[in-house]
Amino acid sequence: MDKGFKAMATAVLGAAVFAFWMWAYPQALSYQEQNQLFLFSWDYFRERMALPGGFADWLSEFLVQFCYLRAAGALVFALLSVLLQRAVWRAAGAPEERSLYLLSFVPSLLVLVYQGDVEVLASFPVALLLAVALCPLFKKAGWHRLWLIPLAWWLLGPLSAIPVIVSLWGLFFSTDTSAANASDSAEKTVFLRRHFSDDLRKIVFSATLILWTGLTAFVEYRLLAAQYPPRDAFFGLNYYRLVESLPALQWVIPLVTAAVILVCGLHLQVHSPRLAAGVFAVLLVAGTWGGVRLAYDRDTFEVLAYDWLIRHERYPEVLRRAERYQPRNAVSACSVNFCLFTQGQLQDRLDEFYQCGTEGLVLPSIRDNLSDITSAELLWMMGMPNITLQYCFDLEASIQNGRKSGRFMRRIAECNIVNGWYDRAGKYLDILEKSLFYRRWAQEKKELIPDGALVAADPVYSYIRQVRFKDDFITNYSALDAMMALLYNQEKGNFMAAEYYTAWQRLKGKEGAQ
Amino acid sequence: MRRGFLLLLAALLLAACSGPTAFVEELPAIYPDYAGVTIPAGIAPMNFNLPAEYSRVYVRVSGSEGGSLRVRGRWAKFPIRAWHTLTERNAGGTLTFTVLGRRDGRWTQWRDFVMYVSDAPLTDYGLTYRKMPPGYTTYSRIGIYQRNIHNFDEDPIIESTLTPGQCVGCHTANATDPSQFLFHLRGAHGATLIQQDGAREWVTTKTEETIGNVAYCYWHPGGRWFAGSINPVRQSFWTGDQRLIEVFDLASDLVVVDMQDLSLVVDPRLTDPDYLESTPAFTPDGRTLYYLRAKAYEVPREVEKIKYDLMRADFDPQTGRIGEIETVIPASAEGYSVTFPRPSYDGRWLMYNKADFSIFPIDHKEADLWLMDLETGETRPIDEVNSDFSESFHNWSSNSRWFLFSSRRADGLYVQVYLSSIDAEGRCTKPFVLPQENPREYYHNTLYSFNVPDFTKARVEFDTRGVYREVFSDERVQATVKP
Repeated sequence: MDKGFKAMATAVLGAAVFAFWMWAYPQALSYQEQNQLFLFSWDYFRERMALPGGFADWLSEFLVQFCYLRAAGALVFALLSVLLQRAVWRAAGAPEERSLYLLSFVPSLLVLVYQGDVEVLASFPVALLLAVALCPLFKKAGWHRLWLIPLAWWLLGPLSAIPVIVSLWGLFFSTDTSAANASDSAEKTVFLRRHFSDDLRKIVFSATLILWTGLTAFVEYRLLAAQYPPRDAFFGLNYYRLVESLPALQWVIPLVTAAVILVCGLHLQVHSPRLAAGVFAVLLVAGTWGGVRLAYDRDTFEVLAYDWLIRHERYPEVLRRAERYQPRNAVSACSVNFCLFTQGQLQDRLDEFYQCGTEGLVLPSIRDNLSDITSAELLWMMGMPNITLQYCFDLEASIQNGRKSGRFMRRIAECNIVNGWYDRAGKYLDILEKSLFYRRWAQEKKELIPDGALVAADPVYSYIRQVRFKDDFITNYSALDAMMALLYNQEKGNFMAAEYYTAWQRLKGKEGAQ
Repeated sequence: MRRGFLLLLAALLLAACSGPTAFVEELPAIYPDYAGVTIPAGIAPMNFNLPAEYSRVYVRVSGSEGGSLRVRGRWAKFPIRAWHTLTERNAGGTLTFTVLGRRDGRWTQWRDFVMYVSDAPLTDYGLTYRKMPPGYTTYSRIGIYQRNIHNFDEDPIIESTLTPGQCVGCHTANATDPSQFLFHLRGAHGATLIQQDGAREWVTTKTEETIGNVAYCYWHPGGRWFAGSINPVRQSFWTGDQRLIEVFDLASDLVVVDMQDLSLVVDPRLTDPDYLESTPAFTPDGRTLYYLRAKAYEVPREVEKIKYDLMRADFDPQTGRIGEIETVIPASAEGYSVTFPRPSYDGRWLMYNKADFSIFPIDHKEADLWLMDLETGETRPIDEVNSDFSESFHNWSSNSRWFLFSSRRADGLYVQVYLSSIDAEGRCTKPFVLPQENPREYYHNTLYSFNVPDFTKARVEFDTRGVYREVFSDERVQATVKP
């Protein structure tokens, strides 16, 4: 029965996490995928392994690439969640008592809450999982820990301190009942002497391991991460995308995980296991629900959803979402207006949605990795490949942990193809060819570029070439409407330029009236 | 025993290269194009690749003064020590390369090609450069690096990861001597870092009388002064398919900084708001300051009208005062623009760029390198090194027998560093791209351009410990204006 309960509880956890990513928050999967570009190359692996925590980072990027496919991404995160829970239970010594089983769900659920922040990288749960999985090995390793600690720190980063803490705890709190069983005072004296000497040895051993861990952190920082701020090097270089940030959960979760392992490992007896499990299940569900509600910002949630839907050309769904709720910011306005255009409703329904002047049509260059995606998309379709190139390059360069993006690089390659800059396009296509999900596309484009006629025959590229500016002049970002008018006047088939120009004038008029 | 092993190896090698071999009366299509280049003895091995369809390569190198090398593999990769021995033995001579490539199980042998080993030594430790994506308005990872020219070791001096949110600017050493260098850090915690004999100082060079911090600097050979131009830089994009980006200054002034009391010499002739003054360079005697000057126009609308003249000003190394100023090359009157004047350290030559307009030749396909003979004043394009793509920033080795420059000739976008030598008559040799261990893989895969390259006489010692704290502490020495 216990076994059945545990399996069922774990399955419920997996199913819930899968459902969460699959239906409730799929846009976050897309965001994670488009902010990295995993390459099957030795150089890529070597680059990751050059930093402490590099293996967890490499492995996580390998896994996150599957977020290109929504179901695969959801499955990856669900598996990580389940494996972490099982690893915690195993690290605790897998006690027979089932009432504490649900306690082992806490780290997985906390990670889920933490991932409400889309800048949390998958390397955090991956490193956490691997660190917890190392706990049983560390417990038995004795002095081998002296080489295991530097190795684990190099592979996983600072989260490798978890098995050190857990193994030291096990050293001091392992059950020893021989004193109680001693029959006379002489035996007790012998036992106490031996016990005292054991304790002393344990203290020396523990102090050595703690110092050794600190020394490892310092040496690996100096050797491998000297070009990083010391704080980042000691709290994890690859767990969070934004630099100069250390969210509280990034250090709370490891501490809680260690605590859960220790508590589960105490083999506590509960008077009413069924009741305890029930109460605990309710607390977990309520806590996770509350945590998710608190951690997931609704406006970010919506903006990411618009981006994800636009990426998959599901424009009507953006409008349906915006009808229910639309964040009052320029990024959302830009996305909604673009979707209105694709549905031929830009002029008719412009006033139905939130507007913030002409910025809500085309955003100026903003230095982040999200805001300008829709602007880049619409400028590409309108016939401004060079500004698209700038926007996509800046989007990619704004990924704060310095990763590349398959989505942006693909468009960068296309802008170069349209301009006839095939050498440069080839460079990007060769890189994309080393990925899993952009490989086929890159190969198709590589077949095009040696033959200018094939490029000219491509319907998208020939259209962009047809509607783009015929004259070469410097872009005036403050007069984009005049540039749209010029596009339309030189090619009357460019109705997108005309539509956007008209909308621009309406919004400009409103701005003036205000 | 060892001899026997070598004999066996040679036999195996011979066997591997035996069978039907096709001879082709053409030079092999090697990457990079190293055929006919002149190299210094002791440089890093000039490894090269055959086209991708050749799965194996076999190369025999024979020196005109003796010695030989044989390698085979996926690409031509020479062992460093043996390469150094061979090039040093053949200084002033030639190396002849016999190349065979295997494709679909058949070997092809091409016509031999030669490399010339110069008798002019390149004694410098290596190069410094900034690596950055050929960026538009944003950067993610950039850094200043040093590269040992005698092998393939590259180390970061500072990377942007150490100072998040701050852009690492151009690194400027004093005539290749790294014991005195500076670079500017842009951003909320921006400052000019000046390191002299290991001691760091973070300086704010912007004052109430000047328009910003210095950006493009040049040390006075005596070390007491450096000249710097202040350039609020902006970028804009072209709409056509011939050129992409235009970089320009909203304004530009030039000042001289006294290192003794960190005071600025501000001369109204070099801070005229109607003109743009930029990119200074002192002559090796320290008595002349070259710089550029152009009439200011509205940017970006009239950017094509901005054409820089080459100016020369007398400089007093005792007081820092600017004396007489004259126009050396009246480029604007002739319809073009001069940029990046760099006198050789022996005072013999002045190298500069010529472009249709603007001060940033890297974005100008037509930009070329030119050379002025400082004894006669004659100028000429350096056709030996120029290409159909832009040649841009350049600098001299410490003995002025070698120079490097950046060029976009590889693919029109990603900038690479090329080296060439110059003789007493000003004749330059065919340039070669900075050697890499596996050149095709390195250059094709990199998403970085080499920016502001320079030689460095010795290894740059820069301890990053404390830099993070210093940057974000905002403790700065405020420069003042000399009365």
